[in-house]
Amino acid sequence: MSSLIGFLSLALAIGINFYLLISRYVFKFQKQRFKFFVRVSSLLTLLSFFSLMYAYVTSDFSNYNVFQNSHSNKPLIYKISGTWGNHEGSMLLWLCILSIFSFFFSFTKNIEENFQKLTLIIQAFLHTLFSLFIVFTSNPFLVNSILVDEGLGLNPILQDPGLAVHPPILYAGYVGYSIVFSIAIAGLFQNTDNEWLYVAKKWSLISWTFLTGGIALGSYWAYYELGWGGWWFWDPVENISLMPWIAGLALVHSLMMVRGEQAIKKWIVFLSILCFSLSVFGTFLVRSGILTSVHSFAADASRGIFILLIFFIITGFGFLVFLLKEPKKSNTLNLLFINKVSALVINNILMIIATLTILLGTIYPIIIEVLYNKRISVGGPYFNSTVIPIMIPGFLLMSIAPILSWQTNKIKNSKKYVLGFIILSILVFIQSYLLDFNTWGFVGLLLGFWIVLASIIAIFSYYKVKLNLKYFKIINPHIAHIGVGIAIIGITCSSVFQNELDFNLNEGDKFKVNGKMVLFEEVETTNQINFQALRGKFLFDIEKNKSKKIEAGKNYYPVSKMITSEAGILHQWNKDIYFILGDQKNNEWFVKVLINPFVSFIWLGVIIMVYSGLIAVTRR
Amino acid sequence: MNRIIILIPLIILLTICIFSLIYLLSDKDPNKPPSALLNKNVPVFESSSLYNDKEIIKTINIKNKKTLINFFASWCSPCKIEHPLFFEIREKYPDLYLLGFNHKDLASAAKKYLKDDGNPYDFVGVDSDGLIALEFGVFGLPESYLINEDGKIIYKFMGPITKDVLKNEIEPLL
Repeated sequence: MSSLIGFLSLALAIGINFYLLISRYVFKFQKQRFKFFVRVSSLLTLLSFFSLMYAYVTSDFSNYNVFQNSHSNKPLIYKISGTWGNHEGSMLLWLCILSIFSFFFSFTKNIEENFQKLTLIIQAFLHTLFSLFIVFTSNPFLVNSILVDEGLGLNPILQDPGLAVHPPILYAGYVGYSIVFSIAIAGLFQNTDNEWLYVAKKWSLISWTFLTGGIALGSYWAYYELGWGGWWFWDPVENISLMPWIAGLALVHSLMMVRGEQAIKKWIVFLSILCFSLSVFGTFLVRSGILTSVHSFAADASRGIFILLIFFIITGFGFLVFLLKEPKKSNTLNLLFINKVSALVINNILMIIATLTILLGTIYPIIIEVLYNKRISVGGPYFNSTVIPIMIPGFLLMSIAPILSWQTNKIKNSKKYVLGFIILSILVFIQSYLLDFNTWGFVGLLLGFWIVLASIIAIFSYYKVKLNLKYFKIINPHIAHIGVGIAIIGITCSSVFQNELDFNLNEGDKFKVNGKMVLFEEVETTNQINFQALRGKFLFDIEKNKSKKIEAGKNYYPVSKMITSEAGILHQWNKDIYFILGDQKNNEWFVKVLINPFVSFIWLGVIIMVYSGLIAVTRR
Repeated sequence: MNRIIILIPLIILLTICIFSLIYLLSDKDPNKPPSALLNKNVPVFESSSLYNDKEIIKTINIKNKKTLINFFASWCSPCKIEHPLFFEIREKYPDLYLLGFNHKDLASAAKKYLKDDGNPYDFVGVDSDGLIALEFGVFGLPESYLINEDGKIIYKFMGPITKDVLKNEIEPLL
């Protein structure tokens, strides 16, 4: 029943969107009616999504999708998150978020009516494309042809609280760019004033903030769930999310220039189209199954071709409009040796190069396989040695960029900065020299600390401290950059200074980690609702009274016959101690302990970035 | 000049789409990468029989025989799907040596499975810790390898063998 409601409301939503698309030419609508229909179609899509969720929650195995991906003895939260833990459901979530964005956009005020209408029509166009894709190739409402009372289960790796939130937030980021895309295209068609740039700025900030949160959640999830001890693997799917993120960052910064009357409209339009294209391209690569990783659910050529077509239509349409309706000549840029405009231009160029570098690394294996029928894999070494160096000058620049002037070459308080930089370099150099010197470690730490320091100098020497919202809005760019600086420190420490220890232990053995005694108490097997848990129990720092318990082990999921590893992590503010329980051989357990210094800084940095993204949204 | 720059995104788009399309149409399944082991010597292995610990099979034992190696387990449901085909192969190609590796399985469960569904294999080797599968680069069960008389891997298939695969891909090599 719920499947039927879901399918019908989806079908009705398609109908309405189609109606909206042709309305411009066939029916003459009043604006109010038009918006009404947009909202109704959004709500219908939402209803369709919730019907599917209902089928999951009630374990309605007459729905084929539920049968394939769920199991009745799964905890409720994984029944809910199971809705998007599969290809069909995740595409419906995609569509649902697209609708939500249209819904909220239809309430935007201070925007010219015709312009808003045109934007919503383009949204309706996108909605139609993706809903047709769902109906024809990935229908989640198919009826199960056999009568069963139990489902096949959900990939155990996806049974995690992280999964409940990571995809929806990430999708909100991806799909949020659809609004930016539609605004930019509508802007090209109408080619009116610059008012739409402000609207675009707000929405691109929203999308970027969601994307940042989504990527970070994914990383965090990989960190504690995959049990490899790292949080970023240059996995193709990670790269795919990084591309719109960097392009989106460039977009947000370009939109900054609007305030200095220095907007390069053409560039902004280009970036807006690019961000959404990269999002759709990412969807294509993952959903077509071209890329295999923990993220791909199924490979199916017809789906791939359909979504490739959508990607081609959207991107081709975007860039074609861009080609034909080129924006009016904008003001010439006031480029000086070092002012805000030139800093922003350099930053944009670097980010685009970084995006293209990642794009190349991601599609290179496809091209090689088509040409030479060889399978190669482009991984960490390529990205580390190309993307990171490209970003370094940008990081250097960002420390001072917010305080540069729009019009002149002068930097106020430049002496403070020079002095600060020299002292900091010496300190970091001494610190690195005393520990084992590592070039990347030195560069990373210097950059990170420099960004933080320069931003703090700027905050205190330019603005009077006041504790009100306005003050926080003014210093917001600096805060965002402090977040990046802190994240860079965390990234550098946790990757360059990671320490790995291997042990073969019997139960009851004691061993030393980082100068502290650890007791390997025992290994215990317990039965949980939907899995069997094998846990090695460790007591950390037994010489003190307050020793800490750590459990690391594996889960065995009988329904899908899969084993997942569950790392035991002891979080401290300056390091994570990461326990992995390996296999047992001759009564000895293999235990790997990783010491990841300052991982918490990465998450802290991200939280700061998300915070300042939210603050920036409220700022005009 | 300006026009040409604006054209670049479209050109890149077209290139990406063309390559992706060829990739999709050429039926390249990323789940089935061209094995790095193809045309290489079969990995060295040693395994005891499921039915008798003392009976050992080694790489040397399959020299000079055309061999089909199949990794299976009683807990693997796709294995059940392809299972009947091995009896067909057995009947049609009596000279082909059928070697099954029982992967990460309980001996009792495996024996029951082969009793219920029948045992088409000439030899069932035990790979309880999965080390042999590791040597072969097994990705998921079931997986099959065709070895020629010179001990080279000439074909590899991931997933359950179907009639089509048997007819179009394996039989021409037999």
